[in-house]
Amino acid sequence: MKKLLLVSLCFLMLCVTQVFAQNRTVTGTVTAKDDGLPIPGATVKVKGTTNATVTNSAGKFSISVPGGASLVFSFVGYETTTVAVGSQSTINVSLTTSASQLGEVVITSALGIKHQKSELGYAAATITPKELTQTNVTNVAQGLTGKVAGLGIYTLSNGIDPQITINLRGNRSLEGNNTALIVLDGVPIPGATIGSINPSDIADVTILKGAGAAALYGSQASNGAILITTKRGTTDGKPIIMYENSFQAEKVAFWPKLQNGYGQYGGEGSLVVIDPNSATLVSSFPSIPATDPLTGAPVYIPYENQLYGPPFDGSIVPVGYPLDGIKNYDPFPGYPVVNTTGRQVTAKYSALSTNPIQSFFKTGLTEQNTVSYQQGDSKNSFYMSAQNVYKTDIVEGDKATKDAFSVRGHRTYGIFSIDYSAAYTKQNVSTYLPNNNDLGVPGSFVTNAGANDLYSSVLQWPAFLDIKNYRDSNSDIGNASNFYDAYAINPYWILQHTRDNYSRDVMLSQVKLQLDPTDWLTASYQVSSNFGIYQERITKDEVDFTQYAISDPFQAGATGSGFSATGKGLGSVYDVYQYGDGTSANGVGGDGYNRVEGDAVLNFHHTFFKDFKTSLIVGNTIFQNYLKNQFTGSNQLAIPGLYNLNYIGGLVQANEGEYRVRQIAYFGDLDISYKSWATLEATFRNEQDSRLSKAQRSFNYPSVKVSLVPTEMIPALKDNKVLSYWQIRGEVSQVGNINVGPYHINNIFVVAPGFPYGSLFGVNQNTQNYSSSLKPELTKEFEVGTEIGLFNGRLDINYSYYQQRDKNQTLPINISASTGYTSSLVNIGETQSSGHEIQVTGQILTQAQNHFGFSLGVNFSKNEGKVISLIPGTNKLSLGANEYAEVGKPFPLLEGTDFIRDPQGHVVVDANTGYPTRNNTSLTVFGRTTPEYTLGITPTFTYKFVSLEALFEYRGGYVVNNGLGGTMTFAGSSALTAEAGRQVFVYPNSVVQTAPGVYTKNTNVNVQNGNYGFWQSSAYSGTMSPFVTSGAFWKLREIDLAFKLDQFVKNSKFIKGATFALTGRNLFIWTPKSNIWTDPEFSDVGATSNVRGNNDANLLPGTRIFGADLKLTF
Amino acid sequence: MKKYILILAAFFTAGISGCKKDYLSLETNPNTPSVTTPQLTLAAALSGTANNVAGLYNYYGVWAGYWTTSGNYVPNSTINQFQFTPTSFQGDWTSWYLNLTNYNNLQVLASKDPTQANYQAIAMVMKAYGFEYLVDQYNDVPYSQAFQPSTIVFPAYDKGVDIYHDLGKQLDAAIALMGKAGAVVPGSDDIVYHGDMAAWAAFANTLKLKLAIRVSSKTAGDELVTDIASTAGAGYIDGAANPEAVVNPGYSNQTGKQNPFYAIYGFDPTGNPVFGNVYYRANTFSVKMLNDNNDPRVSQLYQPLGNGTVGSNAFGDPGVQSNPFTSSIGPGLLQSAGQGTPLMSAAESLFLQAEAANRSLGGFSPANAQALYEAGITASFEDLGLTAAQATTYYSQGLANVGWATSADKEQAIITQKWIALNGYFNFEGYNEYRRTGFPALPSSLDPAAISPTLPTRIPYPQSELTTNAGNLSKEGTLNYFSSKIFWAQ
Repeated sequence: MKKLLLVSLCFLMLCVTQVFAQNRTVTGTVTAKDDGLPIPGATVKVKGTTNATVTNSAGKFSISVPGGASLVFSFVGYETTTVAVGSQSTINVSLTTSASQLGEVVITSALGIKHQKSELGYAAATITPKELTQTNVTNVAQGLTGKVAGLGIYTLSNGIDPQITINLRGNRSLEGNNTALIVLDGVPIPGATIGSINPSDIADVTILKGAGAAALYGSQASNGAILITTKRGTTDGKPIIMYENSFQAEKVAFWPKLQNGYGQYGGEGSLVVIDPNSATLVSSFPSIPATDPLTGAPVYIPYENQLYGPPFDGSIVPVGYPLDGIKNYDPFPGYPVVNTTGRQVTAKYSALSTNPIQSFFKTGLTEQNTVSYQQGDSKNSFYMSAQNVYKTDIVEGDKATKDAFSVRGHRTYGIFSIDYSAAYTKQNVSTYLPNNNDLGVPGSFVTNAGANDLYSSVLQWPAFLDIKNYRDSNSDIGNASNFYDAYAINPYWILQHTRDNYSRDVMLSQVKLQLDPTDWLTASYQVSSNFGIYQERITKDEVDFTQYAISDPFQAGATGSGFSATGKGLGSVYDVYQYGDGTSANGVGGDGYNRVEGDAVLNFHHTFFKDFKTSLIVGNTIFQNYLKNQFTGSNQLAIPGLYNLNYIGGLVQANEGEYRVRQIAYFGDLDISYKSWATLEATFRNEQDSRLSKAQRSFNYPSVKVSLVPTEMIPALKDNKVLSYWQIRGEVSQVGNINVGPYHINNIFVVAPGFPYGSLFGVNQNTQNYSSSLKPELTKEFEVGTEIGLFNGRLDINYSYYQQRDKNQTLPINISASTGYTSSLVNIGETQSSGHEIQVTGQILTQAQNHFGFSLGVNFSKNEGKVISLIPGTNKLSLGANEYAEVGKPFPLLEGTDFIRDPQGHVVVDANTGYPTRNNTSLTVFGRTTPEYTLGITPTFTYKFVSLEALFEYRGGYVVNNGLGGTMTFAGSSALTAEAGRQVFVYPNSVVQTAPGVYTKNTNVNVQNGNYGFWQSSAYSGTMSPFVTSGAFWKLREIDLAFKLDQFVKNSKFIKGATFALTGRNLFIWTPKSNIWTDPEFSDVGATSNVRGNNDANLLPGTRIFGADLKLTF
Repeated sequence: MKKYILILAAFFTAGISGCKKDYLSLETNPNTPSVTTPQLTLAAALSGTANNVAGLYNYYGVWAGYWTTSGNYVPNSTINQFQFTPTSFQGDWTSWYLNLTNYNNLQVLASKDPTQANYQAIAMVMKAYGFEYLVDQYNDVPYSQAFQPSTIVFPAYDKGVDIYHDLGKQLDAAIALMGKAGAVVPGSDDIVYHGDMAAWAAFANTLKLKLAIRVSSKTAGDELVTDIASTAGAGYIDGAANPEAVVNPGYSNQTGKQNPFYAIYGFDPTGNPVFGNVYYRANTFSVKMLNDNNDPRVSQLYQPLGNGTVGSNAFGDPGVQSNPFTSSIGPGLLQSAGQGTPLMSAAESLFLQAEAANRSLGGFSPANAQALYEAGITASFEDLGLTAAQATTYYSQGLANVGWATSADKEQAIITQKWIALNGYFNFEGYNEYRRTGFPALPSSLDPAAISPTLPTRIPYPQSELTTNAGNLSKEGTLNYFSSKIFWAQ
């Protein structure tokens, strides 16, 4: 205490001395040029003296200067500016951000501890709020896309509520979790809740790319971490009110290539034909063949769902059955025949100007309104915000709303301070049923209809028939009984009568109490509670078929004929209630849980011998995750339109589950910096987890990190004009990844199908074998990297190389059913991944010097993963959905069926039919399904008050399986099926086997039938290889043309700042020619799976978004 | 300073000690049990067997000449063209092993307690029942090394014939274990015989006869054949004193609780036809034989059309008719959603006995062959809801393979009648008897895209074995699905 007094005294003396030396006082405000906000804590120094002060929380300063002096303004991360005082008494300075002091950028590292970047021994990147929200994303994760080397944001679907996963440095775990940990204000939150955060609440995002960077978080952070810091209010005493409105439109950007020349035919042998003009029966079974007996050319079939009919000829053709006709039994005994008294719909058999498949989709709209208020001073601050998002989609009827409210603040009482935040978000989504199998209850009507998802039904639509006429699914042509397609349901019926409505209520809250009793110790205790409630109701309406539809007038085996007994396809309802993180994730992939956590941390910090800045952190974390869900449903609703389980035939189907995970961890972090050029950090964490058995429960995770700054260390390098900054870093760590779900250590018995029968109960052995010896996966990582700043920081190059080995993979390996189980959960196998990451930013032209500013950012990453070992005795493991892990190869690896080929790789066709043959005995390896290379390019132009920022993103080095291709080949709507004009052709690059092992080039063996026969009936349609394409793409991911209108509103007392911007997302996509299907980024296997690169008609086509944004500051 | 340290210490200990000692002990699964009882396992396992028998063998229904695939759909490349893909028959293998592991568990659990001998015996009988299905389907399969996941992850394949021999021994042992004094008698959990252990013994013995007869066509002197007499005292299923083996846990017309055959080939709880009813239609081969012999079963096995006739398609016919002109599976097979699922019918047992008698196997007398044959026909009629009198009228006709006296080849008559009696519930058995005896002469597919002019002699091993047990599977060598045979096949 005495020492402290002494120091104060010295200070006082110094000031007194200066008072005598001064001439006059200069005051002013220091602000940041990019956002106009004041900079508290900036240094203001009289040039050539030690006379200095710092700005207060409002950015204001007051300093005494002698005449003729200059003031030097400096602050971490900003260009140092010198101003000659002259005769001024008020000097306002706005500082521009600087790249020259790269090492001084403050980074939030694990546990929310702030470090200078030069002290970090690992790669970390920050994203500013501006970069994050420049295209008004509604989900924070989307705003990160393409901006950081090594960070992969995968938007797996679009639609009203896209699924997004966040991955750092590729995959490590074969079947377990590979998604990054999300840390909000220092505490891990359930990963899926990132979508509930209001993007404009965010002050800063830091990406800790590797396991080592996040080692303090232990097993949760083996996949790296994303640290999000939220706003806590201003510190300058003045209130700031911000209002922002953005409006965006969304349109389909990527159509599959469609044929526009052929109507319906589906392989019929013979049929009933109605004369469209007289609406009378021309002929009945079996005399009319559906193909021309001479040419074999197909006849137009008015009720088919496949488009292999004759070419459009402009004639008038009947569409579907005569509406509401009457059926009787005459004249052939036993053979039903139509007496067509009903109206026959007809249409001109020629292509419409816009393919109906395209006109089915509309423009989606998103409007966002955000208001925030913040105020505070250096001791107390307060922030609150409200956000509303209203969104409609590219299909009619789909919409979503989001309302987010948050209150955050900070208070200081002497040595005691409290920090709190509470955010509540409610999201409502209403969508059609993406896949009717999702109904969870058997006997789905739409499944009976042969097309079990919306897009499949749309893709069967013939190009001559106006889809908009069917928009009313209750109209005489749109209803289920009269719908023209005998095997599918009107897609508008799916939109209007099957609904999936769900809501997420998410509450993220935390309180942190902190004591700063001395200058060398900080103690804090933080409690956080993050939970959500997910409620979902899936409904499907009843369909009442007319007797006429049931009688199946064309004897086509139509949908209606499946309801012969009652004429009714009963309605269904399915409800989900889940207490957890607010999503429907079932806890298997680590998602879905609520989280209550307590963290106690002691932070000792002291500088020894002047140059050794030391800190020691010890702490303890306890958390509990909990999840409870209930499902109820029935597919036998008694009263149409009344979705209530009290009114059903049969039994209620119900199901429930409850899961709990607990963990206790102790950790320590010792950090020693010498001068400003050497830092050594060592961390250690021990954790005990309830998911593992007692003997396996306790694990240790150490890491060591080193950072050196030669430009500070070596005198010769100091103040170098070219090399302004150079840092070298390295890190070695070991972390775990618990991929064992709760209760997976003892074998279980499950309710046998159908049980209970009355009071009789029965159980079967579970099909997966569990083991109490399961351990966490162990990731060993090393990373080296360097950062070089050139030309006074105008060019910054940051490079990292990492290598990770992940062993003890927790794999549900498939085992022979003859063991009694089909799979077994074991720790086996090892993977290795390594990669390079380069991030380059260059300020090519500075606005200050040239009026025109141009900067360019480039980030590139290459990730190579391979499987080192798997279960002994096999070198291949199925990961699901056609994907595999194979020893020595990258994973996940797409494998599937291909044609039989000659040794040179040419497809061997049958010498008679000209058709290829599927190779059923072995699968072909097509390649990895996650990008090997990603590249992001961000040019920024500024001129006066206008700025233009863009983000181009490339992903490549992977393949995708376009399941959509199979659907469209079945439907006959793909342009591919019409490439040869539906005529016979020679299969390209094929050979014919002339003798065993002898192949000759096929020049004259045509496919037997170039229409239905080849595209539908030959081995072609069921083979995967024709539909596998490169997944590479370039996207213009973001574009933002902003007008900073501050100068135009500066005379207004009311408005302080205004920005108007035009924005676009995914405006353009460029893919290789072979990809005629869809956006390769999409994948229909859920976000919790590691399987990627499989798309199908469950996924809507890719879209582009463009809009405008107005931001006002008061 | 002390004050601060105290406050800090309080903070810190509050954080760490805020939980109980067993805070991390969450081994108990609140959602599912980790133990079972013989009762819970038996009921579930028998129900699972019924699901397998009733649900798995649709394709044999087509190959065996009973059914065809609907003309409303694109031709079925697997069934009609024999273009097997690696996963075509995946479920058959897996379903059986997953079912049998429960019997194996039951056998292990019950063998530890002498009072559970009846459960142990039933488990052994049902294991034999299931393994016979597996051998008849795949020939060599894992048997002696099966169900030991902690020690054997790659079970080796046993020869089909060796498995058959061991199953015979297991059935002998099971019969010996049954009905011991002091042993617990199963109750409602025995959803076949409700604890009637004598009936179980007859079922076990009939199963043994079936194994013996199946090997007898190829190896007349096989030890299984010579051993038939040793357990003759246990009797055989005859539909009277020894009832049919029929599983019924309490099927009802509720979603998920219907009889599995009814649920797959019949109607949903609201009465609408399900896919299997729409897809599987009458086969001309079968319909013609029934009609030619004035067999009233034709309208029980197939649903007549509006005009009262049964419409059908020939197998693989390219000019296939659509559904309104063909019959679906009939009312004799689809009696109600609550009907039981037979594991072995009286008719099958009587025809087995008739064959044994006709060939004088294992102490059976040829003198009884005609009576057993006619009783078999009667049992088939009665199972389909017809009367004994109708059966008598039928077999009294002077037609070959109908009337006993007018049938030149008694064996052919027995197998032909057995083939008719197996229609529907036992499609696989019908095909097995064809593969064993060549009766009746089943037609192959007319589909021009069929890759073989003859019917398959066996199906491929499942893809799952290729990926999980390739080393052992490779020892089976290359199979030709149109010439490789099950060991007992001709």
